[in-house]
Amino acid sequence: MKTFKSTIAFLTILTIISCKPEPTSLPYLGQTYLENGKEIHHKVGQFSHYNQDSVVMTNADFKNYIYVADFFFTSCPSICPRVAKEMLKIHDAIKGDTLVKLVSFSIDPKRDTPSKLKIYANNLGIDHHRWYFLTGDKDATLELANTYFVAALEDPDAPGGFDHSGKIVLIDKDGHVRSFSEGTDPETTPRLIEDIKKLSSQYSNVNKTAQ
Amino acid sequence: MILRKSIYILVMCLNILACNESPYMQGKRLYTANCQNCHMEDGSGLAKLIPPLATSQKIGSATFACILKNGIRDTIRQDSSYLVREMPAFSHLSATEVANIINFVNHSWHTPFKEQTILDVENVLNSCK
Repeated sequence: MKTFKSTIAFLTILTIISCKPEPTSLPYLGQTYLENGKEIHHKVGQFSHYNQDSVVMTNADFKNYIYVADFFFTSCPSICPRVAKEMLKIHDAIKGDTLVKLVSFSIDPKRDTPSKLKIYANNLGIDHHRWYFLTGDKDATLELANTYFVAALEDPDAPGGFDHSGKIVLIDKDGHVRSFSEGTDPETTPRLIEDIKKLSSQYSNVNKTAQ
Repeated sequence: MILRKSIYILVMCLNILACNESPYMQGKRLYTANCQNCHMEDGSGLAKLIPPLATSQKIGSATFACILKNGIRDTIRQDSSYLVREMPAFSHLSATEVANIINFVNHSWHTPFKEQTILDVENVLNSCK
């Protein structure tokens, strides 16, 4: 009986080990070009924006983190609440991972002041040290969105005055785009969460081997 | 005996399938087009930003039609917490469309459910403040 039990236990462990797929590396999205024989991957643009606590944040603040980003505005009557709901799901799903941050860029700085973003974030019930709401120069932000592969433009005919897509984009420590989901399609969120975990674990594995 | 059991199971399955479809399909379409972006497909809303419909006191009330058509301009309150957003007006909706949405929403999330006719809704809309 004892042998039988241990055989079963052994087989179960074997199954678990063999079923765990080898973590494959996420692709680099966007155009890759060669410079001096070296492959250069697409990077997101530079930003210098105020967060919900009126503190200036730049790309340098994220050099030790991976983060997911979206573009929105608080008075947006169209797709933003749906995208925010998916961002909230991600925020809750990666609670324990200190390597991952969330960033929401406002494309409507005129109305979205840091204090307004703070109220918005409070109402969402989020952790202000993990999820930043950034506001800055409007034209710079609209241009920045392009480098995240998010379409964003001012359009008086669009609901709320801006036309934009609801992509949620995963950025690695070096500013490369590694994965994305459609914030308007909840079915694409679980895969992005998997990708976030995959990317995060790759960094922690690198740290382990370096030690 | 087996036959009786399978018929029983078949009927149960049919019941479950039939229950998934709302009888207010027109209202569902209008809800998807006008309300779903904020209140979500399942009526759950968004944290403290957008109130959920399922637990709302407003959806079963007599003035629901007025809210739908004219929006809410004041800060929306829910229990002890407040929501900073206002609800926009949907003035382009006709009384028929408002009635369709109300019946879909109430049928989905409000008990006891009582169907409202277009005439009922027209009367309410005429008395909106």
